[in-house]
Amino acid sequence: MSELEEEDSSRRKFIRVATVGASVACGIFPVAAGIPALLDPVKKSTGGAETVPWSKVALLASLPEDGTPAKFEVVQEKVVDAWTTYKDVPVGAVYLTRKAEDVVAFNLKCPHLGCAIDYRKQSNDYFCPCHNSSFALDGSITTANSPSPRPMDTMETKVEDGYVWIRFQHFRPNIAEKTPLS
Amino acid sequence: MKFIFDWLDDRSGYRNLLHEVLYEKVPGGARWRYVWGSCLTFAFFTQVVTGTLLWMFYSPSAQTAWESVYFLQYQVWGGWFLRGVHHYMAQAMIVLLVLHLMQVVIDGAYRAPRELNFWFGALMMGVTLALSLTGYLLPWDQKGYWATAVATNLMAEVPLIGPALQKIVVGGVEYGHHTLTRFFALHAGVLPAMLIGLVVVHIYLFRKHGIHVKEPRPKKDSYFWPDQILKDAIACLAVLLAVVGLTIYFHGAPLGPPADPANEFPARPEWYFLFLFQLLKYVPAFWGAVIIPVFLVLWIFLQPFIGSSRPGHQLNIGFWWTLIAGSVALTLLAFAEDRANLRHSAALDEADWQADRVLSIIEDQGIPPAGAVTLLRQDPDNRGRNLFAAHCASCHRYNGHDGRGFPVDDVQSAPELAGFASVEWISKLLTHEHYISEEYFGGTAFKDATMARKVLAKYTPEEIALLPKIARLLSDMAELPYQEPLDEDEREELLSLFYNDDLDFQDGLACIDCHDIDSEEEGYAPDLTGYGSDEWTVAFIKNPEEERFYGDENDRMPCYGKDAKLTDEEIQILSDWIRSKPAE
Repeated sequence: MSELEEEDSSRRKFIRVATVGASVACGIFPVAAGIPALLDPVKKSTGGAETVPWSKVALLASLPEDGTPAKFEVVQEKVVDAWTTYKDVPVGAVYLTRKAEDVVAFNLKCPHLGCAIDYRKQSNDYFCPCHNSSFALDGSITTANSPSPRPMDTMETKVEDGYVWIRFQHFRPNIAEKTPLS
Repeated sequence: MKFIFDWLDDRSGYRNLLHEVLYEKVPGGARWRYVWGSCLTFAFFTQVVTGTLLWMFYSPSAQTAWESVYFLQYQVWGGWFLRGVHHYMAQAMIVLLVLHLMQVVIDGAYRAPRELNFWFGALMMGVTLALSLTGYLLPWDQKGYWATAVATNLMAEVPLIGPALQKIVVGGVEYGHHTLTRFFALHAGVLPAMLIGLVVVHIYLFRKHGIHVKEPRPKKDSYFWPDQILKDAIACLAVLLAVVGLTIYFHGAPLGPPADPANEFPARPEWYFLFLFQLLKYVPAFWGAVIIPVFLVLWIFLQPFIGSSRPGHQLNIGFWWTLIAGSVALTLLAFAEDRANLRHSAALDEADWQADRVLSIIEDQGIPPAGAVTLLRQDPDNRGRNLFAAHCASCHRYNGHDGRGFPVDDVQSAPELAGFASVEWISKLLTHEHYISEEYFGGTAFKDATMARKVLAKYTPEEIALLPKIARLLSDMAELPYQEPLDEDEREELLSLFYNDDLDFQDGLACIDCHDIDSEEEGYAPDLTGYGSDEWTVAFIKNPEEERFYGDENDRMPCYGKDAKLTDEEIQILSDWIRSKPAE
């Protein structure tokens, strides 16, 4: 190869690399421009347990004293859904069971894949109609090979001036450890 | 690796296709004048990708369109950038369209055998303009709303089907949910799909006839890859840099206050439609909407044939240059007229104020389900300035304007009220020169009344030096939110001045000899007890003819409460607003 040809070939090589580089940059650019916005939900977190607001759920007196579960809607004072701020919105439901002055709250959602759990009066237990997980009144798993990897999810409660308040939360489904979604 | 590619090629024949695409012959070598088509394709590709991403955030309804765009712009990580790129690339696309068109016309590439492709190109230009027009409305801000109203009203000019056409596009008679859903479907579905189809045909036809070579040929023939692609890619990068530069410089696309049919805004289209806007000042709407477009379509259709002869080609080039020059002239004229129009710039400032205001309210309270526009409608600050403009500004002024920043045509005939009852305001009031000036009572009968002639006009320099103290005392009664209250000692000291216990005013009279200040119902001049306070201001606006105010000496100030010109709530909002801020 003569020197001239060699120079020409390295020039051509440079042109090819530059062309591919510039074309790829142009091709990637529009996608890259939107990547941060696309990933925004992953970046945002609703914060820790302390930021979960208390919701007033029921009168303590309305709960059966024998510990039979009763289902209640949870209404949150303020809910922000993307750009809209709602006031007094139902955000989910709970089973409340009473033990003297104490109240235990279970999230209605099955820890398996989030179906709504039923309370069965006849067998006095909880049962998920989707994949047949069943739970005792204290929330513990009662089936062998239970589809649900963990007991029913409890939430923090308090009783004030005769009202039951809870910190309503959802948890990550289908893992053994109870982990709040945030 | 090679095995996989061989397999893929065997099943798809991609190597042949790639070869076909890349080794298009470029007679006369790669040239910069050929880059515009690729730049447009790149710009359109960017719009499709960024548009699809924007789609993930946008919600087309009258209560959520502005709100979702607000959310993207201010709450989503990098949302402003994504939106900005889409916005400025749309504008770049218009510029590129014109460049591409002019290159095709000047090079004569529109003539046989490429007529069909020229028409397709013109069609694509129309679709692109329609994309701009529909996209302008989607943020549902004041600018988009009012401009789209004009554009769709033009549509009604089309003979026979016009009004029906307008209804179809708007989704009814009123602009609302269906206008947005329809515009969105057009903008994100129908028009892009049309454009993609047209691009395919355009490129197919382009490849069929090859590049139209502009003579003389500067170099020996080469291929599309890599020489021309390199030039194309560099041009695309330049476009990209310009768009990113604009996006960063302006921090994304603008978002005006939310659309409100009851809140007037001077409609202006995007800058590249300004020439049409300006044209409509001189020709009837029917011309702008029907005659000129029909003429253009016909002319474009005929151009390839006209251009087959040399003079015809020159005529075509001349036509487009004239069109461009005319458009530029009309655009500049539109800008110049707006710039010279004080009311227009005040309206833009007002819209900026509203846009900022709504952001700060949202920061406080969030957006209610009824939408952000309700925040502005209920905002006391916004209502206060609008009430002032509507009911007070024909006589009074606020910082010299109507409360919102608009100049007032009527002659000022009552006091300036910005900073009303503040120390500065009262100090000026108590100076003869200001008292009789137009800024205070110059336009009223009080200009020649006792206070002006017999009191203020006769103060000695020593007495004038005491006036700021009297002003401080009176202003304290107003309990203005932005002023520190007097402490007890200061107050006592200033009160003694008012009573003139120690000082000997020249005429032997103290303020207290005419004006009451502590509700003892003394003196014949206006009672100054609680002057400028909320109670005083509300009562005064309701009925300035009350005995403690002007009584029967009232000069033209309407009794807004007594005569039910304003509701109690409105009077309260006005009072709060007038007392809320110092003068500028």
